[in-house]
Amino acid sequence: MASRAIWSDTRVQAALLLGPALVIYVVFAVFPMLDVIWLSFFKWNGLDPVKVYVGSANYVDVFTKDPVFWVAFRNTVIWTALSVAIPPMIGLALALGLNQPIFGRNTLRAVYYLPVIIAPIAVATMWRWMYDPFFGLFGQILTSLGLQSWVMDWLGDRDIALYSAFGAYVWQSVGFSMVLFLAGLQGVNKSLVEAARIDGAGRWAIFRYVTLPALRTTLTIVLVLAIISSLKAFDIVYGLTGGGPAQSTQMLALWAFTQSMQIFDFGRGSAISVVLLGVTLAIVIPYMRWTQKREEASE
Amino acid sequence: MTLTSAVSRAALAGGLLLAGTSLSSAEELTLWTLNFSSEASNEAFNKITSGFEAANPGVKVTIVTRGTDDHKTAIRVAAGTDKGPDIYFMWAGLGLGGEYVKAGLSLPLDKYYAEYKWDDELVPAAASFSRIYEGGRHGVPFTFKGEALYYNKALFEKAGITGTPANYDELVVDAEKLKAAGIPAIAFGGTVNWHVMRLMDVILEAKCGADKHDALMNMTVDWTKEACATDSFAELDKWAKNYILSPFMGIDQAQSFNLFVAGRAAMMLEGDWLVQQLAEAGNLDDYDLFPFPTGTNRLYGFAEYHYVSTKSKNPDLAAKFLDYFNSTEVQQSVLGKFSTSSINKHVVYDNLRPMDKKWLDIFNTYDKVYMNGDQAFPLDVTTEYFRVINEVASGNMAPADAAAALQTFIANKG
Repeated sequence: MASRAIWSDTRVQAALLLGPALVIYVVFAVFPMLDVIWLSFFKWNGLDPVKVYVGSANYVDVFTKDPVFWVAFRNTVIWTALSVAIPPMIGLALALGLNQPIFGRNTLRAVYYLPVIIAPIAVATMWRWMYDPFFGLFGQILTSLGLQSWVMDWLGDRDIALYSAFGAYVWQSVGFSMVLFLAGLQGVNKSLVEAARIDGAGRWAIFRYVTLPALRTTLTIVLVLAIISSLKAFDIVYGLTGGGPAQSTQMLALWAFTQSMQIFDFGRGSAISVVLLGVTLAIVIPYMRWTQKREEASE
Repeated sequence: MTLTSAVSRAALAGGLLLAGTSLSSAEELTLWTLNFSSEASNEAFNKITSGFEAANPGVKVTIVTRGTDDHKTAIRVAAGTDKGPDIYFMWAGLGLGGEYVKAGLSLPLDKYYAEYKWDDELVPAAASFSRIYEGGRHGVPFTFKGEALYYNKALFEKAGITGTPANYDELVVDAEKLKAAGIPAIAFGGTVNWHVMRLMDVILEAKCGADKHDALMNMTVDWTKEACATDSFAELDKWAKNYILSPFMGIDQAQSFNLFVAGRAAMMLEGDWLVQQLAEAGNLDDYDLFPFPTGTNRLYGFAEYHYVSTKSKNPDLAAKFLDYFNSTEVQQSVLGKFSTSSINKHVVYDNLRPMDKKWLDIFNTYDKVYMNGDQAFPLDVTTEYFRVINEVASGNMAPADAAAALQTFIANKG
């Protein structure tokens, strides 16, 4: 009887359900995270039997001596700012359009979502070919339009390479925002929309005062996911430019990988990862708390 | 015979059989190397291991292949344990192979070089890399690659170039003639950092000479205090602005090859492996080659080596295997499977194409080499070397600033 009472305790049930996932999370997420923080205070090349404790030297080196770190930092900030603004905006526009009863909208939804399911490295390969200055799609189109002088070294010119890479990222990621917004739009109260329309509200006013407030939770999710995915941007840049030319498109996540897995300076790579983690938490946590307070205030 | 004694005898016989089996497989040898993209290379490796096992009953050779990055990582993981290969593949040079030598993972092979008289068998240029490390000779050559300037004969003729340049200045004159004829002198792909780096390497050799070049690569002299270093960056800048088919920073080496074959540029700085690629892509008679004219009598190239691990429990057997691997008979039987030419100088080449013959003459002519920058520098300096070269080639960094940037990085490295 006593054992049955224990098993029927909801707290025990919760513990049983959460336990395995928690163990996996601790082993494969928390422990590696702590290990990276620990490793960031050591000098180690993966070969020497002993890791040498160097205190904060890796951080000092990264901040003051690494010629690429601040480039990667700046690029990550630019990439994040663009990621928060552009793909969600396009995704929202697509969702609003594809929420209307138009012909072939399900097909169009699938078409716009399709790039999301393609592996980023495959997207990078595709776009690298399109960006080829000699035989690429963009060059061919511009040439056929008589605009040969507009053909650029899309991935080789440091002034535009980052934005060229971002173009491929936008193509791949807008479908994801679009789907989330479409889901959010299904929750917009149609009677409120109708009431606003009867009251004489125009399209913009309905969107501004009815639709957008109803999408607040979705918007928060989309923006948080955009921030997180852009801060850890890696694969598409790696596949398109490898961080070049001359490290001008380096990102923090890619630079941490390069330091650890290509240069085999695990201490410095870990230090960059810890910085990236700090930046991510510093942005995401206040934003989530702010949106939570706004939602609580509006209830 | 009672049942008990029969069982006992059977058990004893079984035990002896097991013991015998154990003895016969007691000598195991493991070699870690890269995945081979060519099936012919895989077959050649299998043929060599089978041959060695047949010649040495009781020996089992296991070949473990991995992708490049996985291979490097696996060796690092193994470095921290008692496990690992008896022999491992790695490029020669202070930057890649040298790192493992420095970490104590490579066994000095001086006594085996003497015992097996490997120097009497090996192409001198290929064997020379074994001497660049401190503390003895490390590794034996697996392949050796020379790099030279390939050129399109028709484009040279169109530009009025009648012979190959004897020195660097003459090469620049030829590049200028090509430019005047509206022909980009040379093709490179900038996305792979090591491709444009080759141009910087050879210019550095030409402008600084052998000793200074080596000192710069060994980081024993200051890049900012050697005028030839800044001059070399200035020359690189000049080539990028005037002679390299542009744009080149956004394309890779494979694309630059396509452009070369399409006749869009007159030259490519490539290795001996390009002969086969050219044969597959076009007509070999349309091309020829010459070593980059540095004036130092050293060949630009790199080698891939097999190193014996210090953790090997049977280094004598490992050395015996390498001796078998590089023997004239075996190398003759697998000729062309791993590389255009063999690292064994006694191998006989039949039905050589003219360009292969030229390479063979080059290999037999040069007994000294200077290696690619990414194999000479440690990995972190290589990364900075790439960055600085690309900045100069893109026109974003002045040559004097380039030398200073590289030296600052080296100095900060401590």
